[in-house]
Amino acid sequence: MWKVYKYTLIDLARNKFVGGWMLLLLAISLGLFQLEDQPVKAMLSLSQVLLALVPLVTSVFSIVYLYDTMEFTELLAVQPLRRSKILGGQMLALGTAMVLGILLGAGIPLMIFLPNGASLTLLLACIMLTLVFVAIGALIAIKNREKARGVGLGLVVWFLFVLVYDAVLLWVMFAFSDYPIEPWIVPLAALDPIDLGRIMVLLKVDLAAMMGYSGAVYEKFFGNLRGILIALVALTAWVAVPASFAFRGFRRKDL
Amino acid sequence: MSRVIFENVGKKYGKMWALREFSARFEPGETVSVIGPNGSGKTTMIKCLLGLVHTTTGTIKVNGELVGPDPKYRHHVGHMPQISRFPNELKIGQLIDLMDDIRGKDQGRAEGPLVHDLGVDAMMDKRLGTLSGGQRQKVSAVLAFRYEPKVIVLDEPTAGLDPLSSEILLKAVRDIKRTGCTVLITSHLMEEVEALADRVAYLQDGALQFLLPPEDILSVTGESRLSKGIPAMLINHTRSHVESL
Repeated sequence: MWKVYKYTLIDLARNKFVGGWMLLLLAISLGLFQLEDQPVKAMLSLSQVLLALVPLVTSVFSIVYLYDTMEFTELLAVQPLRRSKILGGQMLALGTAMVLGILLGAGIPLMIFLPNGASLTLLLACIMLTLVFVAIGALIAIKNREKARGVGLGLVVWFLFVLVYDAVLLWVMFAFSDYPIEPWIVPLAALDPIDLGRIMVLLKVDLAAMMGYSGAVYEKFFGNLRGILIALVALTAWVAVPASFAFRGFRRKDL
Repeated sequence: MSRVIFENVGKKYGKMWALREFSARFEPGETVSVIGPNGSGKTTMIKCLLGLVHTTTGTIKVNGELVGPDPKYRHHVGHMPQISRFPNELKIGQLIDLMDDIRGKDQGRAEGPLVHDLGVDAMMDKRLGTLSGGQRQKVSAVLAFRYEPKVIVLDEPTAGLDPLSSEILLKAVRDIKRTGCTVLITSHLMEEVEALADRVAYLQDGALQFLLPPEDILSVTGESRLSKGIPAMLINHTRSHVESL
């Protein structure tokens, strides 16, 4: 697996898209810190941008990369290698490249302008979301033969998580506000990885006004640190479940 | 013992059988040309052997080992696909290093069959994304012949190659055959089939129509060239099939 990982990473390191992603993050981060007079405000704006952008870019790039290297994957699949090692190496390399993009593009400005726990939590949330959407992207690329369909599906999934699910959750909360639905909000919010990322960050920033209903529920139920840890565990499950389906699908796939 | 054994192999995509009840044995040191019209099941048969496609029915053995989830048998298999695409940003030398790593062979990049003959040693620092179709075929050929395979599968190997490189590749096929390697080769070029094949496997609609030495095809049909013998053979085959009904 490490051999596939190493050479996929070399390929990704020279990929213009990965370099561009890092530069875009750097431009956004530096721009926001220059525009806002308070670094906390800049960090909050940055978190809104990152929590939406990281899943979108990661899933679309993972899908496109896995489709574009399909013939190479076939070449690897006729070598004495288990398929799980091929996919494992490719997914890890994609995750590493995208995480490095975030650490260099957003991590460095955050550590310069606001070196605190909230910035670290934001980076951690972005890293987890990157891994989640590499796994989701891989699952989509494996289950769909056509690239256009795969990319379309990636966009739909992102749109569902970033906007639609939140809207539905909000509607549920308002519609059932007379009932004791708070205990339900914890598992319901955990069904959206982007929501989990947002909750993690806002629990650490401790701005109740910006936390939103689900974040407030997480804080009430678990307290700050426990809430973050629970969200982290849920995000880990969000990596593991699509990844295991991707591995199963790839093992059974006709290439 | 036969080097490659297909027993009743079938592959179904949805409701359609791409390969049906395919049984054949291929011997060490034998070159078999697999021919047939587009969509006849040639690629499916090859992909089943390589483990790229999972069979719906039947079993395949390579060198006594069952084709399945255990990838060990692929240590003995070389493959040159019809179209090769590699990671754009890797260099040829790095790709060869990766394959050497996977195969556990510690040999110099510039060593090995075809590397020098096809001029690949002079292109080691070239990025794979900048290669022409013919250059990619050369890299593919080097990788297929590199690990002393006991079975080598060549899918339209000379398509896209210049005449000189084609000749070098065909000579390598003849040489590797002499080492006892079983060669499976698909080609639409009858001259290639005539020049190389010990037996010809003809597939149509996913079924094996015949698996015969070229001499037998010519003597049964009374033709002097395979390009005419094979269509005549098919007409005979269809006629006898109709009469048997």
